[in-house]
Amino acid sequence: MPSVHFEHVTKRFGATTVVEDFNLDVDEGELLVLVGGSGSGKTTILRMLAGLEEVTEGTIRIDQHDVTNLPPRDRDVAMVFQDYGLYPHMTVRENLSLGLRLRKVARTEIERRVAWAADMLRLEPLLDRKPKQLSGGQQQRVAMGRAMVREPLVFLFDEPLSNLDAGLRAQMRIEIGGLQRRLKTTTVYVTHDQVEAMTLGDRIVVLADGRIQQVGKPIDLYRTPVNRFVAGFVGTPPMNFVDGLITGDDGGVVFKAEGVHCALIPERTPQTMPSGPVTLGIRPEDMEVDVADTLIDTSPRDGLQGRVVLVERLGGTSHIHFDAGPNRLLAAVTNERLPEVGDAINVRLNRERAHLFVEDRRV
Amino acid sequence: MKTLRRIALYGALTIAALTFIYPFLWMASATFKPLAEVGTIALFPEHATFDNYRTMWARAPFGRALLNSMFVAGTITLSVLVFGSITAYAMARLRFRGRPVLNAATMGVLLIPGQLTLIPLYTLIVQLGLVDTYAALILPYLFNATAILMMRQFFMQIPQSLIDSARMDGMGEMRILFTIFWPLSRPVLSIVAIFTFMGSWNEVLWPLLVVREQHLMTLPQLLTVFSLGGGAGSIGVSLASAMVLVVPVVIAYAFLQRNFIESMAGSGVKG
Repeated sequence: MPSVHFEHVTKRFGATTVVEDFNLDVDEGELLVLVGGSGSGKTTILRMLAGLEEVTEGTIRIDQHDVTNLPPRDRDVAMVFQDYGLYPHMTVRENLSLGLRLRKVARTEIERRVAWAADMLRLEPLLDRKPKQLSGGQQQRVAMGRAMVREPLVFLFDEPLSNLDAGLRAQMRIEIGGLQRRLKTTTVYVTHDQVEAMTLGDRIVVLADGRIQQVGKPIDLYRTPVNRFVAGFVGTPPMNFVDGLITGDDGGVVFKAEGVHCALIPERTPQTMPSGPVTLGIRPEDMEVDVADTLIDTSPRDGLQGRVVLVERLGGTSHIHFDAGPNRLLAAVTNERLPEVGDAINVRLNRERAHLFVEDRRV
Repeated sequence: MKTLRRIALYGALTIAALTFIYPFLWMASATFKPLAEVGTIALFPEHATFDNYRTMWARAPFGRALLNSMFVAGTITLSVLVFGSITAYAMARLRFRGRPVLNAATMGVLLIPGQLTLIPLYTLIVQLGLVDTYAALILPYLFNATAILMMRQFFMQIPQSLIDSARMDGMGEMRILFTIFWPLSRPVLSIVAIFTFMGSWNEVLWPLLVVREQHLMTLPQLLTVFSLGGGAGSIGVSLASAMVLVVPVVIAYAFLQRNFIESMAGSGVKG
C-alpha cells in the first residue's frame, strides 16, 4: 500500500511554475530519492510534502489522508534539513525532545525514545552539549535523531549530506541507508548528487524543470534512460554524446559522424528509424581503447578514432579524454598500458550498450 | 621600550576616561557636600552630609515620581520588545499581502520628527480624555519604528531552517518567536531595551504636556518642575535630584552593557 501520493501537484510562485503536474506514489517503507539539478523543483516538492510550502493545485495524501492543507505539525512527518536546523541555544537532549514535549508525549516515553535514538546514533556522550560544540557529522546525527524520536509515518531528507566533507559524506550515506532499512520508515530523500541517489535509493525520481523525467530503480535509470537528460545525469563520469546521422549502408544500420563509424545491432534498432539527425550515447566504461600506430583516420570503418588530450590515472580505472572529430569524449578504462597525451587511439564501442536519441528521446 | 609605550598608552586613556568620568563623580560627591563646599572642585567632601537628599525628599514626592518613572518606562520597554518583535517577525519572516507597504510605512515613520506630531498627539490625548492618566504617558510609546526595524534586520539573519524545524516540531509562529528567536536575539533585544528605557526615562516634554497632577509625574518631569520652579533652593539639592534620576539608568546599563557592546561592535558577525 503506497503511503504517500502526489496527485497532479503544481506549485507556482507568482507567474513562475516551479513544479508542474507532479504525480508520484511512494510505497510504504521505501526509500525514494528525488534527484535533479538546482531549480529542478525537488526541494519544493519535499517542502510541500512537509507542509512548509503551500500547494497551488493538486492533492497530497499521506497514509490515505488528504494532508494538502494541513500545517506541518498535523502531518506526522519529520524532516532533516541541509544545515540541520538545530536550535543553537538548546542542548542535544532538548533538541531531541522538544518536538515530543510540544506534542505532550509522556515524560517517561520521551526519555525512552531519546535514549533509543541516542543509542542508535551514538549520541549518549553528547546529550548535554550545545550544537556549536559538535562536529558537522555529529550535528547531522542529532538532526536525524530529532526526526527519529518523533516516530513519524514519513522521513524527509533535504540534501542532508551536502555540508559534510567527502569522507564523512560517504560514511553518513551508509549510516542513513542502514538506519532506514532497520526502521523501515517511508523516506523521501532529496539530493543533487546522483551518486548519493544511486547508492541510497530503492527508486529514483529524476527531475528537471519541475517535471519528472524518469522514475525507476537505480540500475534501470542507468541501463535504460528514457531521454538524453537522464542519460547524461545518471552515472559518473557522465555519458558521452555524439551528434550524427543514421545510414543504411553495408547492409546494416550505421551511425556516422566525423571520426565515428558505428555499426548498430539491427535487432536493437527500431524498424522506423528516422533518417534525420540522431545522437549516439555511450558510457565511458563501454569503450575500449587501443593505442593506434597509424595517423588519425577521419572515417574509421568501425568505432572511433581520436587523439588523447588528457589522461587521468586514478589507480584502478583511468579516464582518457580524447577528441574524435569535433567531439571531446571520455573513456574509462582499466588498461595496463595507457596512451600518452597526443597519441592517436582506436576506440571500440560496446554496441550492446550504445544508446540512440532522437530529439532527446531514447529510441 | 614596550613597557614605556604601554604606560604612555594607558596614561592617555586614563586622562581621556577622566574627562568623562570626573564631572559625573564631582556631581555625585557634590550631592553629599554642605552648601559652603559645593563650589570647590574637590572630589571628597570635607563634611559629608545627606542633607541635600533629605531636603529634596521632604520638598517633593520624589519617591512616588521614581515609581511612576519605573512603571512608565518599564511598561513601554516591555511593550516595545513584545509588540515590536511580533511586528518585526512578521515583517522579516512571513509572506503576506501588503508587506512591502508595511516596510515602507515603518521606514517612513522614521522620517517624521517627533516635534511635528507633538501637538496632534496632544490634541488626541485631550479628546480621548486621557490627560492626567498613566495611559497618556504610555500609549504614544507602545510601538517604536526604530526598534521594529532593528529587530527585523536581526531576525532576517536567523536561518530559515530553524523556523522550518520549529514548525515541523509543532510550534506556532508565536512560540517560534518567543522560544527560538528571543533567545537567539539577546544582543538586539537588550540594545532595544536599553535605548527604549533610557529614552522613556529621560523624557520630559511629553509628560509636561499631558500630566499636571504631582502624584502622576515622572522623575525628570518632577525634577524639572522642582528645579526650575525654584523648589530646590540650592544647587546641592538640584544635583541630588539629578542623581536620583541618573542612578537607575547607570545600573540598567551596567547589567546590559555586555550585550550592549557586543551588538554595537559585532552586529552581523556570527561567532
